[in-house]
Amino acid sequence: MKTKKGFMLRNVAGKSIVVPIGQASVDFNGIINLNETGEFLWKELAKGCTYDELLKALLCEYDVSEDIARKDIDAFLETARNANVIDED
Amino acid sequence: MKYNIADIIVDFDVQYPRLKRQIEDYKYDGDRKTNVKIRFEDQFFKGRLIDFPHLDCDTIEYMFLGAEYYTALVHFNGMMLHSSCVVYDGKAYLFSAPSGTGKSTHTQLWLKRFPGSYILNDDKPAIRITENGIYAYGTPFSGKTDLNVNTGVPIGGICVIERSETNKIETLPTDEALFSIMNQTVRPSKEDEMDKMLDTLDKVVSNVPVYRLSCNMELSAAEVAYNGMKG
Repeated sequence: MKTKKGFMLRNVAGKSIVVPIGQASVDFNGIINLNETGEFLWKELAKGCTYDELLKALLCEYDVSEDIARKDIDAFLETARNANVIDED
Repeated sequence: MKYNIADIIVDFDVQYPRLKRQIEDYKYDGDRKTNVKIRFEDQFFKGRLIDFPHLDCDTIEYMFLGAEYYTALVHFNGMMLHSSCVVYDGKAYLFSAPSGTGKSTHTQLWLKRFPGSYILNDDKPAIRITENGIYAYGTPFSGKTDLNVNTGVPIGGICVIERSETNKIETLPTDEALFSIMNQTVRPSKEDEMDKMLDTLDKVVSNVPVYRLSCNMELSAAEVAYNGMKG
């Protein structure tokens, strides 16, 4: 899976946000606020990866249990999918 | 003909009476170079009349010059905020919310409660980062009420408003402030223009306090807002 084309991650006033540009801005009229974990996951997803690769990357980066990491990823993906900003493979 | 709108020199040939009336106070006959040249050909009006059959040329010229102007504004360290902006004691206070929430209703309370206050722009003030600080400007594009003044005033605060039985003001966390402001501005769809707008937004949110005001329609709402924002 991969973040959809036309969504840019930017840092504004110390906060990470995702904004749509081009065609994406017609379909999605909002912004997404990301916390630190969300920003990390977004950057991985922007490169394109599988669920297992995402999990591995998160476990490498942060000192958390696999259980917590899965919960974080699931919550993130649910939000991202509801906002329709992820292309599934 | 040249106009000075928020310290940006705009070259535009006005054709229709509504805009002619609204833009009168912004005429400029000084020596500064034009910053933005905007032209609407006859073909443009024909196209818009087909796209928006409920509009007439009078309204189309007014609306689309506004849209062109606010899109250009991002190139001049500026952005529009959909808000009613009241000036009191030398500071501009912007009250932003979705249409129908009562932005203008709230700033009308300020006019009653605080003699000497005035509306800078009742619907779409321009915000610009200047050498002297962050300023709000009146523009000819002020929505239904025609209330605007051709001047710039340093911003004292930005306030997102919502209706409530009682009056309360609180500081808005940065992420909520970004979300609210992004939802009440013109968003460029081109990447370079979006980046310019986000640069301006970064400076605005980092330097201007943003609040949430829950308010009713009594005069005390204006007092609660002013006391919370005057610093």
